[in-house]
Amino acid sequence: MGNPRVMIVDDSAFSITFLKKMLEQVGLDVVATALNMSDAIEKAQEIKPDLITMDMTLPDGDGIACSKEILKHLKNTKIVAVSSMMDEEIVEHAKQVGISAYLQKPVDQDELKATIEKLFAGEDLYRLLQDHYEEAFKESTFNFLKREIGGEVAIQNYELKFKSGRKSSGVSVSVGIIGRHNGRLIIDMSADTALNMVKKILQDDNQTQESAIQFLGEFANVIAGNACSLLNGLNRSFGLRVSPPTIIIGEDITVSIGDMKNTSFAIKTDLGDAFMNVGIQKGDSSWS
Amino acid sequence: MELKNINPFVAAINEILPQFGFSNLTQKEFTEKSKKIIASGVVLTLGIVGDKKGNVVYTIDKDGAKQFASTMMMGMPVEELDEMAQSALSELSNMLTANACINFSKESVNVDISVPTLLFGENIELNLNKDQITCVAFDVDGIQLEVCVALV
Repeated sequence: MGNPRVMIVDDSAFSITFLKKMLEQVGLDVVATALNMSDAIEKAQEIKPDLITMDMTLPDGDGIACSKEILKHLKNTKIVAVSSMMDEEIVEHAKQVGISAYLQKPVDQDELKATIEKLFAGEDLYRLLQDHYEEAFKESTFNFLKREIGGEVAIQNYELKFKSGRKSSGVSVSVGIIGRHNGRLIIDMSADTALNMVKKILQDDNQTQESAIQFLGEFANVIAGNACSLLNGLNRSFGLRVSPPTIIIGEDITVSIGDMKNTSFAIKTDLGDAFMNVGIQKGDSSWS
Repeated sequence: MELKNINPFVAAINEILPQFGFSNLTQKEFTEKSKKIIASGVVLTLGIVGDKKGNVVYTIDKDGAKQFASTMMMGMPVEELDEMAQSALSELSNMLTANACINFSKESVNVDISVPTLLFGENIELNLNKDQITCVAFDVDGIQLEVCVALV
């Protein structure tokens, strides 16, 4: 969509001026302002703004009642509460009436920008993630392996024989990816390959399978973390974080790929081969 | 035993499963495991980040998993753990964990979850690298479901 048209509702003329300046600085068009609830409801219906910043205290009502009334008629308008008051109860009320986000005064410009981007750029953001996640994971994996084990490292896209799942080669690790959109990373290799890698990295031939497992967890954690940092660098609204790894060991295990958007990679190193799959899924909650 | 990390999951199971038509839920004793879980059948694991960080693991034996998937798909027969059945089970784990998140938020603990990873096989060893893993099993209309929570 084009530039969102914004209306500011606030009982303080100073706050209106302050927010207007901030919103304009982040490139938005402020098309209306209102100092009280009745004016806000009337102007909202007339102007139909894309976004409303809503103070919680108004002389003739409150921001919750005002938002509720406005959203009755304007289903596509998004409301961001901007108030000096912020406690769990009021945030819960705000969610219930359909307010999309809650910011506390004094508002930080970066936070305001990120919140608005999040609200309006869900689609664009997902497209950006789709376009870049493969490269980000390839790059972070390549960098890690090149730096830690050296030698020849090749990472190629790989077509799964069965789309739904793949037999484990012995040791699998899964790391959750959590943010505006979600996903998960799976890396799979044989126990021997994991052991070879940890021996090489620690330059110690007396490593056990236990340390190979530890290594694999850390390997997945680092490459997922680095890839998410690369992606967050493209747009901080991704807010991607990684969960601790789960390491799965067994002779006869099938790892399901799931029906999310995903890409598989074949990783070739001098110490053995590995399989990697990265899946992403569109998140939908503006509150997450 | 510290139960505050697992109680939101117990509440989620009690709230969600009856909505799918499961009628007899019997909760068994809480148990504690260290670092590893050994399971056979279907395993679903989800990552959790936020005020608490870690993983939750759901395990169901293979026949139970098929029954679960069948009930979730309004009684459609499930002979094989195919893509559709796997998707139904993944969705269930997602719902249970999301509901547990809401329960956490009632205690002012804010957490977010990843998409689930589903795997199946025999003698699956799961290494969660946490000293304390709290588990609880349920008998759900004769199906054994276990949930293990490793959160710090």
